[in-house]
Amino acid sequence: MAQSKSSEARTGWLLISPPALVTLLLLAAPLATVLVYSVLTGSRGAVSLPFSAENYYNIFRSSDGNILDLIFSGEWGAIPAALTKAPYLLVAGRALFVALLVTLATVVLAYPIAYFVSFHVQPSKKALWLFLITIPFWTSYIIRVALWRTILGYDGIVDSSLMGLGLMDGQLNILSYGVTSIIITLAHAYAPFAVLPVFVSLEKVDRSLLEAGQDLGESKFRTFLRVTLPLSMPGVIAAVLIVFIPTVGDYVTPELIGGGKVPMISNFVEVELLKRRNFAMGSALAASAMIVVAVISLIFILMNRRFLGGRK
Amino acid sequence: MTFSPDRPTMIEFRDVHKYYGDYHALRGINGTIRAGEFFSLLGPSGCGKTTLLRTIAGFEGIDNGAVLIDGKDMAKVPANARPTNMVFQSYAIFPHMSVAENVGFGLRRDPRSRTEKAAAVEEALEMVGLKGYGARAAHALSGGQRQRVALARALILKPKVLLLDEPLSALDKKMREHMQVELIKLQRQVGITFILVTHDQEEALVMSDRIAVMFEGQIAQLADPETLYRRPNGRKVADFIGTMNFIPCQILSETGGRIEVEAKGLGRVMLDEDQVPPARGEGEPVVGLRPETLTMLYPGQEPQERAVAGRIDEVIYFGDMTYYDVFIGGTDVEVRLSMRNVPGRPVLDVGTEVQLAWSPSALVLFR
Amino acid sequence: MNRAPGLKTYAVIYLLFLYGPILILPLFAFNDASIVAFPLAGFTTKWFAEMWADPNLWKALKNSLIIALSTATLSTVLGIFAARSSVRYKWPGKPVVMGFIMLPLVLPEMIVAMSLLIVLLGIGINLSIFTVIMGHVLMCTPFAVAILTSAFQSLDRSLEEAALDLGESAASTFRLIILPLVMPGILSSFLITFTISIDEFIVANFLGSGQPILSVYIFGQFRFPAKVPSMLALGTILVGVSVVLLAIAEYFRRRGIARTGGKDTGGFL
Repeated sequence: MAQSKSSEARTGWLLISPPALVTLLLLAAPLATVLVYSVLTGSRGAVSLPFSAENYYNIFRSSDGNILDLIFSGEWGAIPAALTKAPYLLVAGRALFVALLVTLATVVLAYPIAYFVSFHVQPSKKALWLFLITIPFWTSYIIRVALWRTILGYDGIVDSSLMGLGLMDGQLNILSYGVTSIIITLAHAYAPFAVLPVFVSLEKVDRSLLEAGQDLGESKFRTFLRVTLPLSMPGVIAAVLIVFIPTVGDYVTPELIGGGKVPMISNFVEVELLKRRNFAMGSALAASAMIVVAVISLIFILMNRRFLGGRK
Repeated sequence: MTFSPDRPTMIEFRDVHKYYGDYHALRGINGTIRAGEFFSLLGPSGCGKTTLLRTIAGFEGIDNGAVLIDGKDMAKVPANARPTNMVFQSYAIFPHMSVAENVGFGLRRDPRSRTEKAAAVEEALEMVGLKGYGARAAHALSGGQRQRVALARALILKPKVLLLDEPLSALDKKMREHMQVELIKLQRQVGITFILVTHDQEEALVMSDRIAVMFEGQIAQLADPETLYRRPNGRKVADFIGTMNFIPCQILSETGGRIEVEAKGLGRVMLDEDQVPPARGEGEPVVGLRPETLTMLYPGQEPQERAVAGRIDEVIYFGDMTYYDVFIGGTDVEVRLSMRNVPGRPVLDVGTEVQLAWSPSALVLFR
Repeated sequence: MNRAPGLKTYAVIYLLFLYGPILILPLFAFNDASIVAFPLAGFTTKWFAEMWADPNLWKALKNSLIIALSTATLSTVLGIFAARSSVRYKWPGKPVVMGFIMLPLVLPEMIVAMSLLIVLLGIGINLSIFTVIMGHVLMCTPFAVAILTSAFQSLDRSLEEAALDLGESAASTFRLIILPLVMPGILSSFLITFTISIDEFIVANFLGSGQPILSVYIFGQFRFPAKVPSMLALGTILVGVSVVLLAIAEYFRRRGIARTGGKDTGGFL
């Protein structure tokens, strides 16, 4: 055991190599392949040289002509109309919009719970509360999503109950098969992901700071705004990130809840790859999604840095 | 302290260096530990004492030099083949095993029969005062009991050297003092070398035959407790071991080995060779004086040697003792002295003018 | 302690929101009507019988069990390697490599599945439950690493040194000391990765090439309104099994912490 530094590093590397290799083969290599494919020329079921940016260019196409062309030729006036006819951009825009709404709803709904558990639950019972909050997450995602369909859907539980109570005499179609249903379903699915990081950051808030705040004559609410909330921001941003990333790439909910009528990015990638078998275009879509997610994540992470940095 | 200095060498350090990255943790350790000695490595946290202990156990490799155990270089000997056993600071009791399984753990490869091993375990438990505890679950033990199990587990293998890494630091004061005595007795009983790492100077003084005081990866002084206390070889050691008053002084003359100094407030003193440690520190020269070598004169008492006037600035009452901080007359030099509280000797108030008796032979010069 | 009745009410409503759908499951699984709507029509077990009688369910279940058991075993073993390496040893590049292994946790599942699919199609590997296992191992390993890292971290390093000090080799120390003490973490990791794999849909759907797999089967069945009640019956059973497995996992995790003398900091993630 009288090991030198280098032998310790060797053992460490030896141990880490199986999992690292698996991740390399099953994740890094495929992601690299996607990036390479996305700049190749695609045909049905195959890709070939030469390299081209055409796939990315095609993402901007609309039935009024490619939006990039419109930008470069300075036809700014035509862009808004063209945007509404650009299938990929429209879906990407909607996916981001839905994802941001879902994230906002999930985190806003989750914050009071995290606050409650952190500040108003006895320490011995905190683990139990967290366990209660995480249990639904561990039950089948498919079943949970499908359940929301039966609850919110056409002639579902909400509709039938409201009609049965005489509150309504038609189907409540706003809730059925729309963006609202997707938001409710996803806010439910990702609730624990939002509660836990916020809870962790709230737990780290030094309780004596709050007493100090109130001791200095601040009201409870003002203490919360000026001390607790800023201190818990890293947790909030982590929650935002954790909810946002999988939501952008969600597939099941739009399929089941949206009935395929509100396709999101993943559903488009599926169509391109599996139905049209255009690997190059599908790769370009997947890569663009990755890039967009990475850029947005980076923005959040930088915001987090700001919060952490500003508090030193 | 009935230790005879002519015992053979058990452990030898030869210019031991250890780096953690850029951090130089051990900076040239030299010295020997003798067979059957109760030896302490004493120093503040981060001084390298635990690292040095772990180089003996084989948990840390060294970057330069050599560690020899019983005359054999340990460079190529792994921890599990060294004739040392360790009592860890956390005791490292295996939580999933019973007390007997813990104590008998090292006997797994022993060729003896099961009954012989069980007898050895029982004997080891009896030695540490845990007879009959064998079937208990390890995690149900108290701190003191865990420590005894750790001791029995290490001693059952009859190592040449027992290493103890701050074994008493997790115990409360009463228990700690009790275990100090027990450890001394145990060491006399088994007769092997004990090496104790501690940051508690009192503990080291009480328990050890010899002590190595370490600062910043080096041994500052290696000596028996009395020498360390009475003749520390530098200001740092003097300050770390017990309390010492430092009084600024001027060196007037050196003749032969004798040095005459003018100590502020105390006047001229002639110091013998043995009062002047060879180590030279930084800063102005000072003379050091332990609090108990100063005595406050009560009315009617005459000083045996020399006396100086002073005024009490602070009184710290300890029950059996009282500490006084006293300004020496007409100076800004403050000294601390300790007086035993005995009947007829009242505790004095702040501001009282007093006479302090002191003896020049108690002074140590640091320059 | 509790001085916030408003918050408490909100917490209860929130829990109702979380558990609502799950509570509805058994309600309609035992409801004697083919349309899932109030009012309830009476008690029946016929949906369970209908579900039970479908041979496709049993094929899907068999495949899912093979996939989940393989996934749980492989990802837990990989997790042990990664957790041991990162907790016990110092090596350059650790944050990067560990971050890389944890990456599937933060990537949209669809992207992971699709990129894997492209490569598999590209190399010409036929899709089968084996390719599903590959995808699941990739996705589950980060969970195993997270659980096992905390298990290894709660292990006092000096226990290991004590065993070496008492004459054991590195291998026997691992077997006699480390393995028994992290066993609760291993069981917990196994159960959780098993649960994730059983429930997972996207990888199963796209890398499974239409093989009957439980989640894909359920997804398909839900498209037919007539099949919904029997799927609710199946869902009731699955949720029950999940909760039991989780409770067991939580039990082992806590026992592990108690054993190594640590303090419970709660929660799975």
